Amino acid sequence: MTAIAAERYTGASIKRSEDPRILTGAGRYVDDIKLPGMLHAAFVRSPMAHARVLSVDVSAARELPGVVAAYTGAELEAMTVPGPDALMALMGWQGPTPEFTLLATDKVRFAGDPVAIVIAESRYLAEDGCELVAVDYDDLPPVVNAAFALDPASPPLFANLGNNIASPQTRHEFGDVAATFAGADRVYDFHVDVHRHQNVPMEGRACVASYDAGTGAMTVYAATQSVHVSKVAVAMRLGMEQDKVRVLAGDIGGSFGLKIGASREELAAAAASRDLGRPVKWVEDRGENLTTSGQAREESFDVRAAVSKDGGLLGLDVKMVIDTGAYPGMGAMVPSIVEAMFPGPYRMTALGFESTAAITCKATYVAYRGPWASETFVRERIIDLIAKDLGLDPFEMRLHNAAVITDPPAVMVTGRPLVGVTTKESLERIAQLVDFPAFRRRQAEGRERGVYLGIGVATFIEAAPGPREPGEPSGPMSLETMRLRLEEDGIVVLFTGQMPHGQSHQTTLAQIAADEFGVPFEQVRVVVGDSDVVPFGLTGGSRSATMTGGVALHGARQLKARVIDVASHLMEASSQDLEITDGQVFVRGDPASGIPVGEVARRAASGEFGAEVDASLEIVATFDGGEGGWSGGSHCAIVEVDAETGIVKVERYVVTEDCGALINPAVVEGQIRGGVAQGIGAVLLERSAYDEDGNCQSATFMDYLLPTACDVPRIEIEHLETVPLDADVNFRGVGEGGMIVAPPTLVNAIEDALSPFGARIYEQHLPPARILELIAEADTIV
Amino acid sequence: MPDISLTVNGATRTGSPEARKTLADFLRDDLSLTGTHLGCEHGVCGACTVILDGRAVRSCLMLAVQAAGSDVTTIEGLGPDGEMGDLQQAMWDSHSFQCGFCTPGMVMQAAAFLSAHPDADEQQIREALSGNICRCTGYQSIVDGVLLAAERIRER
Repeated sequence: MTAIAAERYTGASIKRSEDPRILTGAGRYVDDIKLPGMLHAAFVRSPMAHARVLSVDVSAARELPGVVAAYTGAELEAMTVPGPDALMALMGWQGPTPEFTLLATDKVRFAGDPVAIVIAESRYLAEDGCELVAVDYDDLPPVVNAAFALDPASPPLFANLGNNIASPQTRHEFGDVAATFAGADRVYDFHVDVHRHQNVPMEGRACVASYDAGTGAMTVYAATQSVHVSKVAVAMRLGMEQDKVRVLAGDIGGSFGLKIGASREELAAAAASRDLGRPVKWVEDRGENLTTSGQAREESFDVRAAVSKDGGLLGLDVKMVIDTGAYPGMGAMVPSIVEAMFPGPYRMTALGFESTAAITCKATYVAYRGPWASETFVRERIIDLIAKDLGLDPFEMRLHNAAVITDPPAVMVTGRPLVGVTTKESLERIAQLVDFPAFRRRQAEGRERGVYLGIGVATFIEAAPGPREPGEPSGPMSLETMRLRLEEDGIVVLFTGQMPHGQSHQTTLAQIAADEFGVPFEQVRVVVGDSDVVPFGLTGGSRSATMTGGVALHGARQLKARVIDVASHLMEASSQDLEITDGQVFVRGDPASGIPVGEVARRAASGEFGAEVDASLEIVATFDGGEGGWSGGSHCAIVEVDAETGIVKVERYVVTEDCGALINPAVVEGQIRGGVAQGIGAVLLERSAYDEDGNCQSATFMDYLLPTACDVPRIEIEHLETVPLDADVNFRGVGEGGMIVAPPTLVNAIEDALSPFGARIYEQHLPPARILELIAEADTIV
Repeated sequence: MPDISLTVNGATRTGSPEARKTLADFLRDDLSLTGTHLGCEHGVCGACTVILDGRAVRSCLMLAVQAAGSDVTTIEGLGPDGEMGDLQQAMWDSHSFQCGFCTPGMVMQAAAFLSAHPDADEQQIREALSGNICRCTGYQSIVDGVLLAAERIRER
């Protein structure tokens, strides 16, 4: 025996086990699936934002050779169960609940609303069929923005609601809001807008639905963040028993919150498959993705801030309006998270928060990487505005207001303890990495030559998973379950409900289990993507690092104890004296005693130990998040704004991030960089644009611009791992933070660059044309 | 009698695609080479990039019939016997990718560029890859992978 001491995988940038297939073209995405007899679906979509549907005639499409079927909205309605958004229903939403059909029937509610589905022998033929479908529309006034939607005179999109309110106005107060404002030295009023933009995964929505008439079972190959949520949606809308629906998923080309469950189009394809008894594939094209899959943000905020003259942020009073688009789901539920997170890592003692969710004629609001992120944008933006007005350094104002680590911890005014939050440490480290005085000198020199440099800092925290609250019996997130099994060939198999779509779970979970169990990394397999096999779960909300990392650790520990117990009978040694290293069970201190774990599994399966020994080497573990904790960090951007062209170049970008213990640093850094890149896109390029008639103006990649390799700089990342809270599990989620804090970081830097013009910025989208407007509005050089 | 004949990953392949069928759909549907991905079908994202007669081209903007007589390499044919070649290995070592959907086009674009510009610096690589969109990574890990591959090729 040479190496009895195990290599430690956790904490190392282990190369991904996903990559050999991905790099050789052997990945399996939904569009790669071909089933015998498979048909292809395409949708006829509304060109109008809001209209009554007078008639839909699919007869000519049905006559086209190669077209197998065509269904109108009414025909599909008869084949399915109308109802609310499946995710809303699953999450127990209690508010206004619009009921709708999978395809529009009586009216269309946004440009792109599907009105008919054509099924043909190829996608080409299905699209030919769509050309032959005649739809007669009668215009209704389009409800193009939240302001009009909230006007009682606006025509209601959903008859069962009677108005266009997805979530009625609610107001909550935390702390003594009135007294805080009465006692403030200064009170500021701001209006801040966040524009509509969207996920844009490189693979759009897609499914192959395959109904077996003999067994009455439906198999759906899906691109989804949860095979189980998709399964529930299919069963609910097709009126099937859940055990008759199986959802399978392979490789998924990104999602960022878009692919939670099954969309109306996917459900329509499944209904068609059941009707025809043949597999039906639907893969959305990019135009469908940009105009109909879902869009995010578009929130406006009226914010009052109570401030002391030394820059103390005493309290906020916030009115939020969110534009949920046409078929509300997630958008109605987001404001409550915005409210809870609004104080951020700051010691403010009062928050008033009211919100309204409006239904408009746009693509549906969906979750997008940090759905509540606007709280960070607004808070970090107004801190810079207030600091400038008070003649303070915004960086110092952040430090002045940030909660520091105390015992007992400071508590957010909305309720959660800020235990282990390292905002102050991450800000101070930023100041060390970025020499502010040197930058200011360079900035001053540049301005003399007409070169406008700016620096911006912003900070955030993310409840990933959030702290365990004192006295609470359960952790901050719902339980995570994992099934683990030792196979007779020694492979440790993890069955997880996580559905990775870029997050590298098949690598990171194997790292943790390999270390804890004591086998080589290659001896752990992570099984995902089969609703018949994996426990309930969802990849989202940055939950997997703590929750699934944690259950992998505790599950591997439990399975190991079971294996050691069986081995103690086999090796005639006490369990206390046994250990598993490098895939073998050893008597501690006796390198010659090793027995491969597969041998233990084979002997256990033989039944030789009798009934008194629990020889089953399969366990189900759960994890409640342990002590939990916060993720967070601070970002700093240095930008150069070209005052002639309005083009913003990100010259340097520095991140200090605390996500606790790192499982795989390369994976963590990939998540951070990807989020920052999306933030750069959101500020400088991306906008889901509608005209005054409700036509989507960003239907191609020539109109919806994404950041390229020339737009995203090298991103410097430093990790802080300061506060372990839990005895075993201190991995924290890192999926959303980059996208949450990059937009305010960049906008703060841009405003700083434009300070010679006296510009003040109250919005997030700053393409070149808008930069030039800001310069022109400022008019004179201050 | 097949209408077109072309060389794909070193082998002669024939077919009778409809005139309107794109090269990408022909590769994916008729030849079952699903490594080539379709990300936008309007020539912007670059996911469908293949190497045709030595040049990186967007297979979504080209008809299959236009490729008759050409020599096409797809991601499946880049390395020896479907294994990873030098560039793919360097990208694996660099944690270049996440979801993998842009990967085939990005790799083929980088392969075509590197074979013509083995001495490229970071900025030149970024410009060469700027017609390929990745939504996951922020590009740095991809650029690092290409730089590492270039370094290894030069050292040999």
